[in-house]
Amino acid sequence: MALKKEQLVKLYTNMVRARKADETMVKGLQEGKVVSFYHSGQGEEAVGVGGCTFLNEDDYVYAQHRGHGIAHILAKGASLKGFIAEHYGKATGASGGIAGFHFVEPERGILGGAGTIGWTFPVALGSALALKKRGKAQVVVAFFGDGASNRGTLHEAMNLASVWKLPVVWVCHNNLYAQFMPIRDAYAKEDIADLAAGYGMPGVVVDGQDVIAVHEAVQAAVERARAGDGPSLIECKTYRYRAHSEGADIAHYAPRDPEEIEAWKKRDPIKLFQEKLLEQGVLTEADIERIDKEVTSEMEDVERFAIESPLPDPSILEKALYAD
Amino acid sequence: MREIRFIQAINEALAEEMERDETVFIIGEDVQSGVFGASRGLVEKFGPERVMDTPLSETAVAGSAFGAAMAGYRPIADFMFADFMFIAANEIMNNAAKWHFIHGGRVNVPVVFFGNIGGGARVGPEHSQCPETIFMHTPGLKVALPSTPYDAKGLLKTAIRDNNPVVYFYHKRLLGIPGDIPEEEYTVPFGVADVKREGKDVTVVATSNMVQLSLQVAGELDGKVSVEVVDPRTLEPLDIDTIVKSVQKTGRVVIVDEDTLRCSVSAEIGMQIMERAFDSLDAPIKRVGAANLPIAGGYMEQYVLPQPKDIVEAIEAVTG
Repeated sequence: MALKKEQLVKLYTNMVRARKADETMVKGLQEGKVVSFYHSGQGEEAVGVGGCTFLNEDDYVYAQHRGHGIAHILAKGASLKGFIAEHYGKATGASGGIAGFHFVEPERGILGGAGTIGWTFPVALGSALALKKRGKAQVVVAFFGDGASNRGTLHEAMNLASVWKLPVVWVCHNNLYAQFMPIRDAYAKEDIADLAAGYGMPGVVVDGQDVIAVHEAVQAAVERARAGDGPSLIECKTYRYRAHSEGADIAHYAPRDPEEIEAWKKRDPIKLFQEKLLEQGVLTEADIERIDKEVTSEMEDVERFAIESPLPDPSILEKALYAD
Repeated sequence: MREIRFIQAINEALAEEMERDETVFIIGEDVQSGVFGASRGLVEKFGPERVMDTPLSETAVAGSAFGAAMAGYRPIADFMFADFMFIAANEIMNNAAKWHFIHGGRVNVPVVFFGNIGGGARVGPEHSQCPETIFMHTPGLKVALPSTPYDAKGLLKTAIRDNNPVVYFYHKRLLGIPGDIPEEEYTVPFGVADVKREGKDVTVVATSNMVQLSLQVAGELDGKVSVEVVDPRTLEPLDIDTIVKSVQKTGRVVIVDEDTLRCSVSAEIGMQIMERAFDSLDAPIKRVGAANLPIAGGYMEQYVLPQPKDIVEAIEAVTG
């Protein structure tokens, strides 16, 4: 089903928000305001935004570490204030300042995250199992990177999700590098989506720079999952512009060809979508300028909120260990 | 009261909690058959969707359970042998244990990680461990290890109802022991130690099957040494107050736990006694545990694991 004009504008706006939020995070880290670390997701916005913008509020999303999930969580409707304030170590952060970087907003189907890559597979499996038991046609969309696909947890979870026909959509950001390691040294084939055949589910490769392509692939898989037909695997071919972690080299033992980076930047997901929307007459130059201004102002508000928020009281630590 | 065996007590706790709360389910390898008898017969009553068999996929067992726990269920992840929990250490220790805390208390993880522990079957190093120390050491996990049918049932019911991850260990050598339980509904609270035998000369703090061995030794020494046996029942939360109270009475302590001695439960409890009740001690604390070796199989097992004579020698050393 073709998207309506306001839906196209929402996708575009969410990508701009994701990019500017990421830039805010990079700046915040450089200025010493972000207390922990940051793994920029610039270049990969179409995956999180295309995958999450049109999910239902009660669907679950497990994000991955690119941009610390910023594109996924904002597209799911979560609070950027809680996200940035958490990274600033403030009491108003999503996790009260305890996590530093894990984001949570259960009211929006974001149940949290962890720091050991590949954790997503078994956890998403469990939440999808719960949703199947509940029987209300909710789905889990679980994001992971090409690096995570090397974990054994992928095998255990993808196999069982298929055996049990669970409502989960596995979405891979294949950005060609796991920290420094190029995928050619880590994976014997070209497409991670090929794994799907071994688990008896559909697997598709999409252009991860094309937000509409991502959206359509995820939507088809979500509908299949809601209908009780089980999981799907979607591989989004994408690219990260910056280092694995801010402050690190972008490449080390296997230097990246500068032409590779430039070629991918020519296919920037925001630029591509902007050109398309201008061409289709969905947006005008004036609209683009207005959106840019609005998002810039939103980020200023979010940043100011984080700066002005108080530090957490250490007494919250003992209380947070156990639920009553 | 009626007499039942330890494994029946566990089975009853599972059945009663599944009856009481339909969000409770069991998941693990061959739980429908129930390898040790814990979940035997439950699939006939509750169906395969609530007694879920899995293939050999321990990370998926742990993840299924705690991922479902976050989404509103109360799963029991059965690892068969507790040794196999190490395969899912990331899911249990890095994820489930930390989740509630690290997300500022916004998500509850009501899951039970369930496994059989201990030696005595001479089946070697990956089917015989008592791994309670490493779980007690991990913040965010509660640890229950019953020594009697009464405690087995009451602690498991509490574990299932708890809104946090609980690791529940039951020992091979206890499966068949009989004990009295009430006809009516009951639970055993966490963090409340039980004085299994009163005495005045020496306090033996013991866990799981070591409680039974210590009671046997206490009986043999009756008339010579009056032994008090204290069972913490849960290691986290730990009822150090009851232990300290006993030490203040006897002035002498032996701590008996089947896990490897180095950095063990007994080291932790011993140090807490030093911090809390040093002035009450009339002799240095003695500890009994497994040698700092992997658990040998076959006839060699007995030379690694603590034996009743080790408990006797320790009691004699602190009371001599």
